[in-house]
Parts: sequence; structure tokens; C-alpha cells
Amino acid sequence: MKTTIFTLIITLIALTGFAQKAEYYQAMGESLGQYANCKTPDDFQALGNRFGMIANNEKEEWLPLYYHAHCYIIMSFMEPSDAKKKDSYLDVAEKSLKQLETMVPTEAEVFALQAMLYTARLVVNPMERGQQYSMLTAQSLGRASALDPTNPRAKLLKIQNDMGSARFFGKDPKEYCSQANDLLAGWDSFVPKSQLHPVWGKDQAEELVKSCK
Amino acid sequence: MRIYLLIVFFLFIKAISAQTTISGTVKAQKDGTLPGANIYLKGTYDGTSSDVNGRFSFKTQKIGTHTLVVEFLGYEPFAKEINLTGAEITLLIGLKETFSKLDAVTITAGTFEAGDKKRANTLTSLDMITTAGAAGDVFGALQTLPGTTTNGESGRLFVKGGDSEESQTYIDGALVHTPYISTAPNTATRGRFNPFMFKGTIFSTGGYSAEYGQALSSVLLLNTNDMPTQDQLDISVLSVGPEIAGTKLWKNGAVTATLTYNNLQPYMNLVPQNFEWKKAPESTAAAISIRQKTGKTGMLKVYASFDDGKFKLAQDDLDQNKKIDFALGNRNTFVNTSYRTALSKNWSAATSASFTADADDVTFDGNQFDKKLSGFHLKQTITNELNEKVTLRGGGEWFSRSVEQTFQTVTDTFVNQYDNNTFAAFAEAEMYASKRFVTRIGGRVEHSSYLKNTNFAPRVTAAWKMNETSQLSMAWGWFHQNPNDDYLIYTNKLDYERADHYTLSYQSAKNERTLRAEVYLKDYRNLVKQNAGEFFLAESYNNNGSGYAAGLDLFWRDKKSIKNGDYWISYSYLDTKRNYRQYPELAIPTFASKHNLAVVYKHWFGKLRSLASVNYIYSSPRIYNNPNSEKFNGERTLAYQSLDISWSFLFRQNIIFYGAVTNVPGFKQEFGRRFSDQPDQNGMFKSAAIIPGSDRFYVIAILITLTKKGTENQLDKIQ
Repeated sequence: MKTTIFTLIITLIALTGFAQKAEYYQAMGESLGQYANCKTPDDFQALGNRFGMIANNEKEEWLPLYYHAHCYIIMSFMEPSDAKKKDSYLDVAEKSLKQLETMVPTEAEVFALQAMLYTARLVVNPMERGQQYSMLTAQSLGRASALDPTNPRAKLLKIQNDMGSARFFGKDPKEYCSQANDLLAGWDSFVPKSQLHPVWGKDQAEELVKSCK
Repeated sequence: MRIYLLIVFFLFIKAISAQTTISGTVKAQKDGTLPGANIYLKGTYDGTSSDVNGRFSFKTQKIGTHTLVVEFLGYEPFAKEINLTGAEITLLIGLKETFSKLDAVTITAGTFEAGDKKRANTLTSLDMITTAGAAGDVFGALQTLPGTTTNGESGRLFVKGGDSEESQTYIDGALVHTPYISTAPNTATRGRFNPFMFKGTIFSTGGYSAEYGQALSSVLLLNTNDMPTQDQLDISVLSVGPEIAGTKLWKNGAVTATLTYNNLQPYMNLVPQNFEWKKAPESTAAAISIRQKTGKTGMLKVYASFDDGKFKLAQDDLDQNKKIDFALGNRNTFVNTSYRTALSKNWSAATSASFTADADDVTFDGNQFDKKLSGFHLKQTITNELNEKVTLRGGGEWFSRSVEQTFQTVTDTFVNQYDNNTFAAFAEAEMYASKRFVTRIGGRVEHSSYLKNTNFAPRVTAAWKMNETSQLSMAWGWFHQNPNDDYLIYTNKLDYERADHYTLSYQSAKNERTLRAEVYLKDYRNLVKQNAGEFFLAESYNNNGSGYAAGLDLFWRDKKSIKNGDYWISYSYLDTKRNYRQYPELAIPTFASKHNLAVVYKHWFGKLRSLASVNYIYSSPRIYNNPNSEKFNGERTLAYQSLDISWSFLFRQNIIFYGAVTNVPGFKQEFGRRFSDQPDQNGMFKSAAIIPGSDRFYVIAILITLTKKGTENQLDKIQ
């Protein structure tokens, strides 16, 4: 009898745990599906909020925090002119990224996203921040590709940066076109670790290839 | 039992079927609805975001007591227990703004702050470096800000009707006894420090905190760079000489060593000079800078430099009617250290110390004049963040200064010297009543061992943010300073000089446009007067001098209106008179201009990878005294005008070319006249115009940065 009760309790706990995990997968799945529908900063804020809420519930999962930061970085890029707003969005993203760095210190995706954050900081005021943040961006990308040389998002950001700086120095950005072509051709061969892991960036790689033509 | 089971069953059914709709509106407590707020039940996946009107609505299957959380960036999170029963819940939620000093009101009366990258600035360190007329001189760049008057024959800072010695410079909290290089009389000086050393600058033209003493008019606070990010070698070749700097990093520290050699001889061979140089200015400087992180929050900075410079110049002696040689040799040793660390969550401490040994050896007409200064400053500050709205700061300081002047003629030697130790204590409290209102109240006590006297200085400032873009600040305080060395070597029967500041300042900043208007009054008292007695007698000096300065400063900065362009305009109106030193009466001092204008424009040419800068500076005629005239300080100089340009070209990522020309149109510059000491046989004093060393100044430079990766550059230096 005692064993039965014990088993029952264990099963119940496991089931509740499972149910909660199921809720997590469902919430993440739904939220990731929302990305395609986001058009305005408000949309991204609502989505970011959603990821923030999930992150609050799932302290062990790093993906909700990752997407939370991602949404806020996109908001900063979308904000047309208010530098203070841009920075305040990036402050939120930076906070999540700091947490991520200690949670999953060997995750290439995190450092690729960190590079994106630094680029966003730079964009707020290129004249003043150019030096500092281009260096930080390069450092983060270096760490990302050291952790996973196949990560397509790290490669994408690297090519974008290289092309941007080539354009700036009056050199031909097309010298990076073969890299862009390779990136796009091999994009689908990168297999994310789960359905919830980041997959974004293919459309941007397509744009790079298009800009080469 | 059966009934009991039934009830349980029904409750269970109810539990799965009950659906509660929670809706409402999220508002800011002060004004307006908040779209995009995050609303959810804590510990669940049920929630939503508010729409453009701040409204929200979501459904939940949960029952019983849950916590509803509402979060929004910049506001305090809101939490409320609600009981979910299936009945619809409607809420009106008011969020309170979070208090953050970053977007709260700031005290701007009298202060120009630069460098803190996340804050809206009036001027950044970069702006200083790329201002054409400054040619890389910190003090030159500051002279494009309102409240300053350009004195071409001096090059020093003259702030709001104050003499140059009324301004003090601090590096990382420690006093810089000799901020300027030594020059011949009536020739412009420059700062000793490379502007690239500093990440931030605060230039306060009045009403500064009780932390700063021994300055009647202004304090310039320079904060040095933190940890460098990589090993690198910087090579700069300027038209006046080369500089090489190497940086090496280790785990929690770094060292930078710099060697500079300047020699104006080749330059002066090419560009015509107004002076007769027997030996062109030549200097060698070595500096070392060490950074070390200690523990989690500690940072130790050490900077040490040694500078050796000399020149020889032939000047007309108006009394002897012949040319005499003026030769100067200067040796300057400077050490500056600072250490700051957090003691606990709310307590932090900063220690700064500086040491200066400076010696000027001047030879003219067979006479020898030596000036030795050794100075020491130690400062300890403790800060306590009592809570997010109240900060307390206090500390103590020790200033030590020894001055010795030796005058040696063929027959005689005169030595005059004095030693002084000043001990000071200060305390202040900064209190935010809200995001919109802040006051800072402080006091300062100083005691000088040489003057055997104690002073007390109260300081009060307050700022009020009227709306999102505008704010009003006021500052009031007493400011003391020891009299000039030239008097103290003869007497200690003097009191502190004193200035009372009253400042009212309005600032509006929106969309990268900043407007500032400031009115001020300075009331000078206890200024040192020298009577007709012999200059070396103590009885010849007293503290009966006084004066005033009143003015209006305007500043307009616009980074927005012109694409890739950025400009600022400073205008200062100054009304000042004083009766001090040997003045027989209240008169306009010789360093003051009534109207001062500076227009600075910078343009980034993306295709050319070039930053061009042009500025125009105007100061209305100043006053000078003609001993041949009845009227004291009755003559007027020419107005000062200069139009300067500079061009920086980013050739490669690690190579930059830079060029600058001052006074391009060749405006005639004359800074008054100097007169003979004795009248000639007709009772007239002979005179000669005071003119700059050359009509224009040209700078050409190439800056190269070498790193392992080879991609870094000195862009931050000039762009």
C-alpha cells in the first residue's frame, strides 16, 4: 500500500512537471510562431514581454532569455530616432545577455547575439562609439566562432560587419560575396539542437547574396 | 462519503471549466496610458501586453488566489493578489515611474560635462580633440565654450571675469600644480597633457561642489581612461616631432609608456616667425601609465611623467634700447595616482594623490631667475549612497606647496621662499526629492599653516526639471583661494581671497539639439592689493581689493539639422571690474572682453572618409594700461579674431592623416602693448605691440596604430 501511494505521488509529481514542461514547449512554440507576425516595435515589445514571462517561469531555460534579448535588440534597430529609447531597449537586452553569459558560458548563439547587441549600440552613435563597439563586436564574434565555427548567425554578422567596413573604407565589399554565397548555400545544413533553438538569419543571408548581384 | 466525493468531483469539473477573463487599463500614475506593458499571472503562462490605449484582456483557466504582475520599462513593477473564480475581473492599474539618476534632473548650473557616453552631453571628449583651433590642446578646446575669454598672449583659461590663476585643474581627483607648459612672457602656452589620455571631462565655470577648493573661478576635472583593451603600438609623427607609445596588457592590468620629442626648429625654418628665436623650443617627455584592477571593484591608476624643455629668444628691451636674450629651461616631474573601490554595497572610497616638482631656469641679460615649485596633494573621499535618492559625500585634503624664487644679478642674489600646508575637510549631501528636483548642500573648511587662518565655504545648488526636455538650475556658494605665489613669497600677513557665486541656468535638450542660457554674478572680496611701497616688503600688501563680474552665457548645439554636420555656437557677455594688485581704482581688468563668440562646425564626408572642422572665434577689444596716459586702463586692444580649419583623413583602418591651420585669413592679432619700466628723458614710456609668435600655425600629422590584428586605429583620436 505504502509503495503504491509512493509511486502515485512520484507519478503525480512527474506528471505535473511534465505538464509544466509541455506548457513551456507550447508557450515557446506559440511565441516563436509570433515572430513572423511582428511588424512594429510594439509587436516586438509584446513578444519580448511574452519571452520575459516565460523566462520568469523557467529559470533553468536559457532560450526564453535569449529571445527576450533578441526582441529588445530588434526594437532598438526599429526605433527611428530617439537615441535614449534605443539605449534603454539595449539596456534591457544587455541585462538578459549578462544572465545568459553565466547560465550558458559556452553557447555560441549567446555570443553571436552579444555581437548584435554591440552593433546596435554602435549604430546609436557611430561617430562616438565606432571605435569601442566595433572592437567589442569583433571580440564577441571571435568567441562565438571559437565555440562553434559552424554557427551561421555568427558568420552572418561577421560578413555583414566586414562588408560594412569595406564599404566605409572605399574597398569593394564584393570580396566577401563568396563567403555570403557559401553561407547561404550551407545554411540549411546547420541543424539546431532543438526546435526551440535559434534559426533566424536566412533571409538576411539571402539579402547579402542579392546585394552581390 | 458519497456526497463528499461528489462535491470534490464537481469542484474538479469547475476547476477545469472555469475561465476567468481579466481585463483593464494600464496607466502611468502621472499622465497617460502605457502601451506595451507586460501583464501576467505570476508562475503561469497566462498573460498579455497592453495595446496602444493601454488596454489589455486575457483569459485564464486558473482558479484561486494568484498574483497578477504588471511590468513596464522605466516603471516600478506592480503586483496584486487576485482571486480567480470565473467572474470577470476589471482593473485600472497605475504604475509609478522608477527613480533612476540617469534620466533624473542633473545639476547643470555652471557645468559642462563630457565623456559619459550614455548621457546626453553638451560636449564630448572627442569634440574637444577635433576642434580645429585647439590643435589638440584641452585648454584651447575649452575656449570655444561660453564663459571663457581667449587671451592670445596667454593661452590659459580665463573664466567668467576671473584671472587665469583662479582656475584649477584636477586629474582623477588630484590637483595639477602646473597644468601649462612654461613659455616666454606674452607668448601663448598649451596644456601639458595629451587630450587622448582622458575619457571624461567636467568643466565647471562656477558654483561647483564643496569637494573642490582653492579656486575662485573654475575647476576642470579630467578623468583618465580605464583599462586599455589590447596590446598596441601607436606612432605619431607631427610637424613638431614624433611620439611613440606602447601598451602592454596583463591579466588585470596594463602599462602604457610614451616617449615624445618636439623640436620646432625645422618647422620654424619653413614658416616665417615674428620672434627672433636663438634656439627654437625643444622638449623631451617620457610618461608611464599603469592600470591595475584589484578585487571586484578596485582600480589603481598611476601616471608619472618627466618633461624637459628649453628655448632661447631675443626680445627688445625697451629700457636699454637693445635686444636681450631670454632663455628658459623647464624641468617638470609629475606623479598622479588614484585608487577607487567599493567598500560595501552602499559605501565607496576614493584616494587620490599628486606630486609635482617644477623648475624654471630663466636667464636674461646676464641675470638669472630660478623658480622652483614643489607641490603635493592628497585627498580621501568617502561616499555613502544612503538610498537611491540620497548620497552623502565627505572627505579630507592636504595641499602642500613650496615655492622658492632666486634672483641672481652679477652682484647680488635674492632668495624668497615660502612653504604652506593647507588642510581641508568637506561634506555634502545630494538629495533627490523626485526625478524632477534635486538639491546639493555642502560645506568646506580649510586651514592654511602659512596664513594661519581658517575659512569656511558653504555651497548650495538645486535643479528642477520642468518637463522632459527643459531644466532650471541654480548655484550659490563661497569660494576661497590662497593669494598668488608672487605675494606669498614676501608676506604671510594676508587672508584668503574670496568670490561668491550666484548662478542661474536654463537648459533645454531635445533631438540632439541643446540650448543653454546662464546668468551669473560673482562678487570678489579680499583680493590682494599692492600699495606704492617696495614690492619685497610685507607691508606693501593687503586684502583690501574687491571686484565683481556679471554676465550672460549662451550655448547652442545642433547635431541634427545638417546631415553629417554638427555645430555649436557660444556667446558670452561679460561685465566686470576689479580693484586689485596695483590698480589705483576700480577698473576693467586687462584679461576681460565684453563680447565673446565661438562658432564651431564639423562635417563628416563619408565618401572621403574625412572629418573637416572649421571654427571662428571673436573676442571684443580688451583694455590695457598706457602709463603715458592720464587714464588708468584706458587703451583698447584690437578685437581678437581667428578662423581655423582642420582635416582628418582615415586612410586605412590604422592610418590617419591630420592637418590644421589656424587663423587662415590672417586676421591681424595684437594683444595690447608693453611698456618700458622707466620713462625716457622726455618722460615718455616706450612701447611695443604684443603680437603672436606667428600669424598662422600649421600642424601636419600622421598617426599609425599597430596591433597584432592590424585593424585598430587612432580613430577615436581625431574622428
